[in-house]
Amino acid sequence: MVAEVLYREQFTIRGNDFEHGGEVATQVKSILKQLGLDPAVIRRLSIANFEAEMNVIMYADEARLELEVLPDAVRVVVADRGQGIPDIEWAMQEGHSTATAEMRARGFGAGLGLPNIRRNSDEFEISSTVGVGTTLRYLVRTDAAPAG
Amino acid sequence: MIERSHAVVTDPDKCIGCVSCSQVCPTRAIRVREELARVDDELCIDCGACIDACRWDAMKAKTSSPADLKRFKHTVAVPSLTLYAQFDKGVQPGQVLRALRHVGFDSTCDISWMCEMLTGATDAYLSECDGPWPKISVTCPAVVRLIQIRYPDLIPHLVPLETPRELAAKLRRRRLAAELGLDPSEIGIFFITPCTAIVDSIAAPVGLEASNLDGAFSIAELYGPLLKAIKRDPGADSAESISAKGLRWAMAGGEISAMRNSNAMTVRSLRDVVWVFDRIESGTFAGVDFIEAYICSGGCVGGTLTIAGRFVAQRNIRQLARAIGDSGKVKEEKVRSMLREHFFDIESEIHARPVRPLARDLRRAIALKRERDALRQRLPGKDCGACGAPNCDTLAEDVVRGEAAIEDCVFVRLESLEKESTNRHGGDHE
Repeated sequence: MVAEVLYREQFTIRGNDFEHGGEVATQVKSILKQLGLDPAVIRRLSIANFEAEMNVIMYADEARLELEVLPDAVRVVVADRGQGIPDIEWAMQEGHSTATAEMRARGFGAGLGLPNIRRNSDEFEISSTVGVGTTLRYLVRTDAAPAG
Repeated sequence: MIERSHAVVTDPDKCIGCVSCSQVCPTRAIRVREELARVDDELCIDCGACIDACRWDAMKAKTSSPADLKRFKHTVAVPSLTLYAQFDKGVQPGQVLRALRHVGFDSTCDISWMCEMLTGATDAYLSECDGPWPKISVTCPAVVRLIQIRYPDLIPHLVPLETPRELAAKLRRRRLAAELGLDPSEIGIFFITPCTAIVDSIAAPVGLEASNLDGAFSIAELYGPLLKAIKRDPGADSAESISAKGLRWAMAGGEISAMRNSNAMTVRSLRDVVWVFDRIESGTFAGVDFIEAYICSGGCVGGTLTIAGRFVAQRNIRQLARAIGDSGKVKEEKVRSMLREHFFDIESEIHARPVRPLARDLRRAIALKRERDALRQRLPGKDCGACGAPNCDTLAEDVVRGEAAIEDCVFVRLESLEKESTNRHGGDHE
């Protein structure tokens, strides 16, 4: 069954754009607040979106983040053009990161990115092609939000 | 719905309806309608930016008046540490305390030693508590209000320890009641405040049922009388309790400067606070233990209701602290035992006060958001404020909430007048 999309908006995230890092996640958060969604839902999405955005900035060339508000959930798709992830299973393990020392020094890439997105969403999918890019799809339910 | 109060009032006789205040308000709480600036209780965090911006002296803090002192048998002045830093080089805290007695208070109560106690208590709390991290200081009431309104998710990050001013007032009232044989309600304890946020924290306290303070006078209004009193009587009251570690709390960075835990950050000015809080909400900074945050640049010395200005005041605090020396006035075991007795704990839960969404129903909220975005496209994006709302985004939102009309925008009005006249003109020729 295809869920009815009540609201859709797209954002562009540019690779290596540390200067604007986190701004898309902040914009999305402000939209979700205006729509009056549950604070716990907004918090989980904000954490996931921020991680996804920073992943793009650190590793990809460019990405499109698509926000979709459904009657009972919020769905996010982040599709990037970039190097891709050779071993998804490895990247999904807690604590694994290829962040450089410089990125770590700036507080990024603690190796929590992808598992953190999965932890903060109710559905999570990742697909990646080396040399082409990575697509993340995750969803947070808004009907009965588990405590985040 | 809890009624919100705030500490800023507009004087209708002085307000000319310009938009200086609405343009600087960080939470967009001010609308200028019918030549008068109105502050929205729900949105105001009492930062005082509007008072600073008003050139007509029309925005005022709701401070106490001398008549309020007459209601009590004994009155106590609790000066903000910032007060010590307002005067010329060489004026000592003891002289300021004596001057406070000359201008009408029966006694005074320094809070620098309590600040030092709280430094120890915060350290102990951080070493014993569980997350979420980072913990955020509750010292600045405008920061606490900002969190209640815009960052309700961060409430569990607040350090649940009461502020030095409240704790010092509580202890002093208890002691004076016993010493003077008075009923606690016969003692009036007044804070000498550098900012409006503290005025409101007394009238509408957060984290406690009723404030231990009975009101507040602004540093700015007492400055003149105090200066005169110091000149007339340069003598000093005892300043033995004054702690250098505590004094530094007046400046941004001061609260963490004496802490053992060095995994702490200072964030000052609303812009930076918002930047950091947005990121804490997204889960960054979880590796930081403690954040002291101030709405005013520079911390309390930068408060709206001060005279000296933060740069001079910072120098003065540093000089005073250096002269006193860093040997602590407080014993660590004492602090730990008081912490175990819950002396420092806030009394009641801090509640969220989220700003109302466009609508309660999701579909309705989305419809209104679309309407708002469409209206926004019709507006010029000049953010001139002439409509009474601080910027075009806010006017669009006010219109869909039914609180303003799109024609409030002068550009929209001009456009429709031009259209009308073209139409009429065209008609004449036919």
